[in-house]
Parts: sequence; C-alpha cells; structure tokens
Amino acid sequence: MNEHAGLYIHVPFCRQKCEYCDFYSITRLEQVEEFVEALLAEIALRAAEFREQVFQTVFFGGGTPSLLSEEQLERIWRALQANFQIDPGGEFSIESNPGTLTLEKLIHFRALGFNRLSMGVQSFNPAELRFLGRIHSVEEVRENFRNAREAGFRNVNLDLMTAFPGLTGESFRYSMEQALALAPEHISCYTLIFEPGTVFYKKMRSGELNPLNEDEEAAYYELAREMLEAHGYCQYEISNFARGREHLCRHNLVYWEHRPYLGLGPSAHSFYRKVRWANKRSLTIYIKSLQKGQLPLDFREELSPEQLMFEYTFLGLRLREGLDTGEFRQRFGMDFQEKYRSAIRKLAENELVEWRDQYLRLSPRGWLVADTVAGYF
Amino acid sequence: MSIKNIRNFCIIAHIDHGKSTLADRLLEYTGTLQKRQMQDQVLDSMDLERERGITIKAHAVRMAYLAPDGQKYVFNLVDTPGHVDFSYEVSRSLAAAEGALLLVDAAQGVEAQTISNLYQAVDNNLVIIPVINKIDLPSAQAEVVKHQLMELIGCSESDILLASAKSGVGIPEIIQEIIDRIPPPSGDSQAPLQALIFDSQFDSYRGVVALVRVFSGEISEKDKILFMATDRSFEVEELGNLVLKRVRTGKLDTGQVGYLICGAKNVRDIKVGDTVTLAKNPALQPLPGYRQVKPMVYAGIYPVDSNDFEDLRTSLEKLVLNDSALHYEPETSSALGFGFRCGFLGMLHMEIVQERLEREFDQLIIVTTPNVVYKTILTSGEIQYVDNPTQMPAPGVLDKIEEPFIDAHVISPPEFIGNIMKLSNEKRGILKNTSYIDPTRADLHYHLPLAEVVFDYFDRLKSVSRGYASLDYEFLGYREGSLVKLDIFINGEVLDALSVIVHKEKAYEQGRSICQKLRKLIPRQMFEVVIQAGIGSKIIARESIKPLRKNVLAKCYGGDITRKRKLLEKQKEGKRRMKQFGRVEIPQEAFLSVLSTDD
Ligand SMILES: Nc1nc2c(ncn2[C@@H]2O[C@H](COP(=O)(O)OP(=O)(O)OP(=O)(O)O)[C@@H](O)[C@H]2O)c(=O)[nH]1
Ligand code: SF4
Ligand SMILES: [Mg+2]
Repeated sequence: MNEHAGLYIHVPFCRQKCEYCDFYSITRLEQVEEFVEALLAEIALRAAEFREQVFQTVFFGGGTPSLLSEEQLERIWRALQANFQIDPGGEFSIESNPGTLTLEKLIHFRALGFNRLSMGVQSFNPAELRFLGRIHSVEEVRENFRNAREAGFRNVNLDLMTAFPGLTGESFRYSMEQALALAPEHISCYTLIFEPGTVFYKKMRSGELNPLNEDEEAAYYELAREMLEAHGYCQYEISNFARGREHLCRHNLVYWEHRPYLGLGPSAHSFYRKVRWANKRSLTIYIKSLQKGQLPLDFREELSPEQLMFEYTFLGLRLREGLDTGEFRQRFGMDFQEKYRSAIRKLAENELVEWRDQYLRLSPRGWLVADTVAGYF
Repeated sequence: MSIKNIRNFCIIAHIDHGKSTLADRLLEYTGTLQKRQMQDQVLDSMDLERERGITIKAHAVRMAYLAPDGQKYVFNLVDTPGHVDFSYEVSRSLAAAEGALLLVDAAQGVEAQTISNLYQAVDNNLVIIPVINKIDLPSAQAEVVKHQLMELIGCSESDILLASAKSGVGIPEIIQEIIDRIPPPSGDSQAPLQALIFDSQFDSYRGVVALVRVFSGEISEKDKILFMATDRSFEVEELGNLVLKRVRTGKLDTGQVGYLICGAKNVRDIKVGDTVTLAKNPALQPLPGYRQVKPMVYAGIYPVDSNDFEDLRTSLEKLVLNDSALHYEPETSSALGFGFRCGFLGMLHMEIVQERLEREFDQLIIVTTPNVVYKTILTSGEIQYVDNPTQMPAPGVLDKIEEPFIDAHVISPPEFIGNIMKLSNEKRGILKNTSYIDPTRADLHYHLPLAEVVFDYFDRLKSVSRGYASLDYEFLGYREGSLVKLDIFINGEVLDALSVIVHKEKAYEQGRSICQKLRKLIPRQMFEVVIQAGIGSKIIARESIKPLRKNVLAKCYGGDITRKRKLLEKQKEGKRRMKQFGRVEIPQEAFLSVLSTDD
C-alpha cells in the first residue's frame, strides 16, 4: 500500500499584505489568470512522476485561495482530478480570509468537493485587526462563518494570533471567547513571529515595535491552551487544537508525521522519497519557467539518514501524541533509544520528555521549550 | 651573483605606516610581480592578515633587480609587523639584515614603535634609511615629521626620503638609496658554515621550513647539517629562495637569505635563533641568536570537547613552528578538564593564536580569562611564580604577592597629556619623566602594573587621545601589590577557570561586573542559575538567571521543513560550542569576557 500523502496548492495572492506575514503572496491581482495557466502547466509536468501516488489530502493555501474565481478554481480542481489519484474520501481544505467569502462562493466550494474551510481571523478586536494590517471587519467574520455553515461546511478552522505587541490579557480572552462562541471544529493559535522581510520586522529593528518577552509569550500561550481545553478542544500539536479526533487537520499531520507531499505553485515545498525541494518564491519566475516548459525549482536537497531521523524526531515531538519509536525502527532500521541514548537521558533528567508506551512525548514542561528539546537530538 | 650585489634589509615602522604597501611597490618596481599579479599588501598572505589589514608575521621575499647602469642586484627584503605584540618578529628579522627602511606616516608622525623599532635596528648596527610615507595625504605634514626624525636619528634633512607607497612616488629614489647606502653582506665563504634560523614555517607535506641567513660558508642540498643548540642533525632536502612562493636553488652562499627543508617535523628539532652548521666541518661558535622572549600574558586553552585534547596538542605543536613566541604547557582545570596554559606576547597575539587554532587547525576551543604572572613569596621564604590564578597559594602560607611592572613610553601630542595622566593614574601608574622629542611630540615615561595595561589601557589611551597617543613597553620587574583572588561560583560550585587576581580596592566592583556579564552571556537554562563572586568564602556579588520559559516557534512554516531544520541545526551547533559545567551550559565567550571592560 501506498503511504499517506498530501497535495498542496499555493495561491500567491492577497488583497493586501498583512504586516507580519512572510508567506509568499502579492497584491497584483491582475496576474491571477496567468498564474492559473502556469499552475495547470505545472500540474501536467508533475503528473507522470506521481502517477502511482494516492493523495489523501488536498490543501489550497496561500495567500488567499478564496480570491480565485469560481471558474478558475474549477479548472484547477479538474486538472488535479485528471492528473493525480485523489482519494475520494479524503480531506479537501481551502484557506480563506473573511471579506472574500459569499454564500454563493461557499456553496460552490462545497460543490467542488471541499470539505474543510480555514479562516484567517486573528482577532475579534477591530483596533487589533487594523494593527495587524488585516482587511476584514469583525462582523464579516461572523457573517462568513454563518454562511460557511449554511453552505454545509462541518469542519471549519479559525486562525487566531497571540502574543503580539499591544495585546492585553483581557482583549485576548475576549477574542478567544468570541471564537469559541462560533464553535468551530478546529482552532489554530499562533504566537507572532517577527520574520525578516516583513513590515513588522522593520518596525522592530527601528524600535517602533517591541516583541513581548519570553515570559509574556508563555503566559498568552498557557492562557490559550487553558481556555481551549476548558471548551473541549484538545491540543494535538504545539499550535493546533481540535474538537475530537475526527477533526484533526489531516493535511498538516502529513508534515508532522514526516509523510510525502507535493507542493504546487510559487514557493511551495515538497517532500518525496528522501528529497525536499521548493519552487521559486517569485510569481514572475514561476510563470516564465513554466512557459518554457521547465519546473520552477528553487532548491532540491537529498536528506542524509541522519537528517531524516532528526526531522522525524523534532516533527514527531511537536505532536501531543509524541513520536512513535516503533515506526522509527521500521523506517530507519534503528532503535530510537539506542541512537539517542544520552539525549533522552538528559531530557528525562530535566523532566522535559515522558514515555507513553512506545511513544516519546514532551512533558507539560517540555511543551513550551520544544525547540530546546529538539536541540538535544 | 657576487656578494657585492646583495642587499639584505627590512622595513620597520609603527603599525599602519605603510610597510606592506611599500613592499608592494618594491616588488612591482623590481619586476618581481607584474601589475596583474598584484594585490594590496601582497605579502600579508595569511587570511587573518588580509582580513584585519595588519601584518602579523614577518615576511621575507627575494627580488632580482636590474639597475639602469646594467648591474644586477639581489634584494632580500623582510616586511615586519608594526604592532607592539609582535616586536619580537621585528627583532629576529633585524638579525638577518644589514639595513632598515624606517617608515613614518607623514600625517601621524613619529609614534611609539617608530622609536622602539629604530632603537632595535641601531642596536643591531643596521644602516637606517628614514622614509616619510603617505606624502599624498592632504593631512601630511612632511616638514614637521622631518624635524621629528632629525631629532630622533640625528640625521640631516637630506638623508630623509619622501614617498607615497600608495601612488608610487619616490620608489626609484628608495631603490637607489638601498643600493648606495646599505652595505653588502660581509662574511667568509671559505669559513665553516654558520646560518641563522630567523624564522620558521610549517608545511603539512614537507615539515618544518626554516628561513635562514647564511653568515659564513655555504650550504648545498644533501649536506649533513647540525643544529647547534638542539644538537640534532639532518640531511638537507631542499634549499632555495622565497619569491612569494618557494623557488628551489639547491644551494645558498654566504650573505644569502633563503629557506631550508630537511625533513624535521617538530619544534624540538628546530628552534628559531639556532645556528645551522655542517656536521663534517662544524663552526666553533654558534651565532649570537636571540634573547628568549618571555610571554606577557597567560591564559588557558581548552578543547570544548575533552576528547579533543590530543588533537589540540598536535595543533599547538604545529602552530609553534609558525609562531615561536607562543608558549604552552599542559594543565588541568576542575571545570574544563585537560588543556594548556599558554603564554602570549599580548592580547592581540592571544586573539590571533585563538583564531588560527580555530581556522587553520579547526579546533573548537575555550580560552580563559588572561592574566599576568605573579610572584608569590611564601611564609617559608620560598618564591613561586604563578601563571594561573587557581594556583595561588592558600592565604595561610602566603606572605605576599608581587606583580609585574612595565617600563612604558607614551608618545603623544602635548594637548592630550592631561587625559593620559588621568588615565594612567587610574591604572596605578607612576610617572617617571616627561620629555619632548620636538615641540609636537611628548614622551611620557611611566611605570605601570602590567595587569592594568594588558586589558584595556591601550584602547582607552587611544580614545582619550583621539587616536594620537601610542604606547611601547617592556618588562621592568616585580613589585608588591595589594592583591586578592576572586572566585566565581556557578550554582554554588567554584568554576576555577573564571578565577582572577584583582586589586583589593577594585574587588567589589569587579566581582559585580563579572557576575553581571555572566548573567548576560549564559543563556537561560531549564533551571535557575545562580552566579556569585567571592573572596575566599565571602560572597561579594550575586546574580541569577531565571529558568527558560519558552522556546518554540509556533508555526512550522507550512511545508517548509528545511527552514525549520536549519534553524534547529544552527541552534544545535551553538549548543555544541558550549561547555557543560555540572548541568549548566556555558558559552565559550563567557570564559574570556569577564575582564573586558567595554559596555
Ligand atoms: N594615502 C596613503 N595611504 C597609504 C600609503 N601607504 C599605505 N597606505 C595605507 O595605509 C594603510 C596601512 O598600510 P599597510 O601597508 O598595511 O601598513 P603596515 O605598516 O604594513 O601595517 P602593519 O603591518 O599592520 O604594521 C593601508 O590602508 C594603506 O592603503 C600612502 O603612501 N598613502
Ligand atoms: S491574508 Fe494571510 S497570506 Fe495574505 S498577507 Fe495576510 S496573513 Fe499573509
Ligand atoms: Mg604590514
């Protein structure tokens, strides 16, 4: 049998660039059609190589995929179906931003087969939305969410942002309560990161913005976790919470469980048979290459066994369930405990990890310092 | 080539006055290098020299020159470093030469090493050709500098050449003066061989490459030779000249400078300053050789990973062949394990050694806080020299501690005298005398405790004089001082490698500052870290580092696992560079930085 695999489509357009965001997206919406053409070309170019692979999840991310017209989305979807084996029982997600969704559009998403919707909400406080550079209003969030339900989405995720400058405990609690009131199946809660190249990063360098300190970040993180758990959401990954196992994001699990995925579109990353590669982070180059019939490759690296094991370990530890040492042995033909004996001993001494059957997982203490823990391996 | 047409000389000057740039022009003018092969300061061949823009090691090069009158000459030039730490390199080069070009920057004028290098050259009976360089600079003051030089050397105005090593002005005149004024080497080619080893290099394929100057007799490949001081004999494998690279000649005659390879692999075989003679017909006497230089500062060098100790030893053995001023001896530290106590000529020398070990020999090392050598007098009357604070005798058996003092000359324009006196006072200096080279150059003669000077006196001197003051010093002797040992405790345990000897009156202030620096340098750990400074069992300062709360990046960058992995790999590399003390991980820099007074 074929291993669980994911298919990712990167749609590199946003109506406006959020000041903290370093995902590859541009605002020249007049290029959308050219992008779609190029994407179709890329799909065709990749088809042969992945003929044998069944994809259980498809994820349209970005950027803002919900900016595509119904007709464009349909062409892409049809091309995917025609060129790849997609499991009809799979998880098909689309990312969206409030303000770009209408009931009509949502119904169309459903008709195409999308069964999971992700919405970038970030905050329920209008002043904070402006500060983050978001395009939408709080009212649009509620309305879009209602429409999603009406269109038949039974698996919806909301993205929330925490630990950004100016946030208060009170306001974060309020946003959290508002999100919970909508009762989505899934919530992702991300701590702000100042990424080089973003407006926020520049503002930090010039002293206009001051990142929160480690203790404050930790406090927001703990608060988020407490509130979510109190409402029946279980944390299954560092930043991800779901109401029940059936609502875990299967596509993101592909990344964390070190399974293969194919990424299409500019800046998209792929992992297949020990090789990682990425497409160019430029729509212009992406289009030009594909017009010439070439893949828009940015880099390609074949991972050494050591790197593969390290990845498997630090990714697996991000999961609540932990890292499956049985599977480790199967994949790498090596005993996990033997391989990392001294690391495990030191981590256990510091009470950062714990065992549960054959799973090694982070302890409650280790959870917040997962990157430090990874450094031991 | 007749010995009459050989000229052996070196270029000496204060740091940055343009020695290496002048060497460039000489190489070019004599046709040794074509313009297209040229790069700035081409003799500064070590990466470190190129990066820092300073000469660290003396560089010898041979040039053939066809004079306008049809005569052929051979010039053996040694470009020397200007920094005070490397004055030993200068003194060795002088012994291989008959003359010296003394360069002075037209804008800076005479500075401390102009004077000290001049005196060394005079002591070696060299002919001095004074050259004022950088006359192209708008701020050049050739007239003023001329007078400084006339006062200093006692020469007449017409003896002084003007040049711009940058633009090439004055180069033909310099060449002519080299021919006219510097005498050819003298020496009896029929006498038994006497060749001075004035430098050595290490070549990983050929072993030790000795640089020699033949004073009498001659030497050929296959000769059986004897090193007189080490009393070791070898057969000569290869002889030749250094013309940027090695050019084999098979033979070296009286008066010549060149290299010698004989299969020697380690320092015990070849010592800089030793005399080479023929085993069959040995010289009666060795050449005078050199006064052994004594290190001014000591520090511990330890492998980060204790398993690399032997590797570090091999690296040091090889490095010493390139840098004969470096001293080392094995030692142990309870915190750092097995390592070496190393002696250096100064802080720059120490930095260079550290960087060379890391870069050329790929060693991952920890360098501990440097210190000077203390003389301790025990109650029994016994005298012990202590080059490591942890070895300070216990207070019960200690009668007194003496510290090294130096004889220092600060050369400066008179307007900064006030600032310099204030600074020197603060550093416990004793002013002996103030004199003037000329109205624009004062010479302040001080006695100062070496420990105070080594660490930040020099930088502060530069800053209080807007860069104009310069310093030269030599060891004077030991004097009693009111000194105590300050220990640093990490979570209650003494970290011996951090102990320092400080002046009693400054102990509190220093203890506090060391603890604060460590607090900033040691990253947060999974538990609280307490840092204390104490004298004996008395704690005088305390800081603590709160446990790490959060270190996890929220998102995993979509499918971009590569980026995440690289971040983590970088973090792992940082961790690998830390030393484990108990459960506490301490970064390399922490060991060195405790005494720095910046920030
Ligand atoms: N304007 C000008 N600059 C010069 C001249 N000669 C050298 N320089 C500059 O002075 C700086 C120092 O020159 P170097 O030749 O490295 O000096 P050095 O005496 O060899 O220095 P150390 O070996 O470190 O003691 C460089 O930036 C040179 O470009 C000159 O005649 N005119
Ligand atoms: S909408 Fe999303 S992808 Fe677009 S700029 Fe904002 S955060 Fe980035
Ligand atoms: Mg130089």
